[in-house]
Amino acid sequence: MNLLRHVASRHARFVLSLGVLLGAFQFLICAAVSSVNVGGALETLVRSLPPLFQNLVASQLLGGFSPSGLIAFGWNHPVAHALGAAIAIVLATRAIAGAIELLLSQPLSRRSYFGGHVVFAVLSVVSVSALGILGTALGQRVFGMERFGIAALLRLAGNYAALQAAVYGITLLVSSFGREAGPVSSTGYLLVVLSYFAEAIGRIWSRAAWILPWTLHDYFRPQTILVDQGGILRPLAVLGAVALAGASLAWARFRTRDLP
Amino acid sequence: MVALEVSGLRKHYGSIRALEDVSFTVGRGEVFGYLGPNGAGKTTTLRILAGLVRADGGQALLLGRRAGDAAGRATVGYLPGDLALYGSMTGQALLDTFARFRPSRPPVLRARLLAALRLEARDLARRSKFLSHGTRQKLGLVIAMQHDPELLLLDEPTNGLDPLVQRAFRELILDRAAQGRAILFSSHVLSEVEAVCARVAVLGAGRVLALETIEALRARLVRRMQVRFRGAPPPDLARTPGVVACEIEGLEARLQIRGDVNPLLQRLARAEVDHLVFPEPELEDVFLGYFGPEGSRS
Repeated sequence: MNLLRHVASRHARFVLSLGVLLGAFQFLICAAVSSVNVGGALETLVRSLPPLFQNLVASQLLGGFSPSGLIAFGWNHPVAHALGAAIAIVLATRAIAGAIELLLSQPLSRRSYFGGHVVFAVLSVVSVSALGILGTALGQRVFGMERFGIAALLRLAGNYAALQAAVYGITLLVSSFGREAGPVSSTGYLLVVLSYFAEAIGRIWSRAAWILPWTLHDYFRPQTILVDQGGILRPLAVLGAVALAGASLAWARFRTRDLP
Repeated sequence: MVALEVSGLRKHYGSIRALEDVSFTVGRGEVFGYLGPNGAGKTTTLRILAGLVRADGGQALLLGRRAGDAAGRATVGYLPGDLALYGSMTGQALLDTFARFRPSRPPVLRARLLAALRLEARDLARRSKFLSHGTRQKLGLVIAMQHDPELLLLDEPTNGLDPLVQRAFRELILDRAAQGRAILFSSHVLSEVEAVCARVAVLGAGRVLALETIEALRARLVRRMQVRFRGAPPPDLARTPGVVACEIEGLEARLQIRGDVNPLLQRLARAEVDHLVFPEPELEDVFLGYFGPEGSRS
């Protein structure tokens, strides 16, 4: 409990700030969608683009130019991904860095230390997802848009949290082998960027479609949830499994490794 | 009564032998010096004792518990050699945070430590990243000692402290030993180990080269002296009792002396000395004492 309190005191402000930013971003997406004919403007814009770029935009707007499709696009926007990934990567990097030598010389087992950090990370990604969803719900309400059902919003929050948990699990695994925070966080960001662009390329270029199942971002499906009202059990299972495998392997390494 | 028992400790990093068959004990009420040059294996030993590094062989018992036993660390204090603190936290927050990890051991010594180490309220109010190296080291010492640990593991504790604070710190250490606390004092500075320790282990290339009382260590020390004469140096200088090496260059003699220096001083008193330098012994002099001027074990 002391450890959780310590980790929270170090990171709560950062997590909360990014969560509020995500919420504000989603709120602004609703504002834009409701006050400007974004769909019409985008359609005109897309028609003037070369075919490859038309495909690229279409890949990001699978839900079409309807308000729901544009809100789904807001959740797939690089800003939304960057905010979530920043939290996951920073928390995973800092878990095995800094004053760890002094902290683990306290009467604190490695299990408690590791467990405390993972619990806080899970709470963080869930909180940030909730704040983002709050932004969307509030935006729809304030701007008089057709509202999504609570089940859809919960599924979206779960999917977003699972994606960030997977990023956290992978970065934590890298962190468990690293000695310095810099290279670990760089690796985390690189993996996220690669996954994001690989997914985009897989969608716009049919010959690269085989890569899609190997990217994390393919399992984040706001369009499926908000536009098609579809289920996301398999994406959730895949992302959950990645998060769990990453954290488990990180623990296997961390429990026996020399520190710092 | 033994507070710390280290036997046959071994640690290799690939082909590098960081520690090989290291054994020693530290009794309650004892300040034990752990002396060696950089890279000798001092920090690795202390990290094993603190449960941070896993030994490849041997064992270490701290107050009867194996190193790495988290619960056992409640009565142990540890100061890392390479101290890292949370830069965004204030000194006060750091002290409180680390105190909370030992609810059964309140920080009874904090006020006394803050006064002795001259840590002011304004230092504690600042974020640690804005503090000087010496002030951060003082914070590390308070964190390690504030709960009055039964066993204290200190890795280069005076690193960055000014001479006045070093003296106050030595007095604190001796006082804790007088109260029955066991202290492992790692250092590469001979004079500070001499000032507080009763026994010492000399570490070199991961092995314990000597395990002696400070008196025995002093007796084996090879000290250096540099003398410039007004005339030609006395021809029998090298044969003076206690002189183990003598190198003469013009009017200057460089001497190495073991044991009693009085015969040499008496011999010099009969000569016309222009200038004499007799520095405080250093770690290098300890190694000279064990391996001799030519590097062979004496």
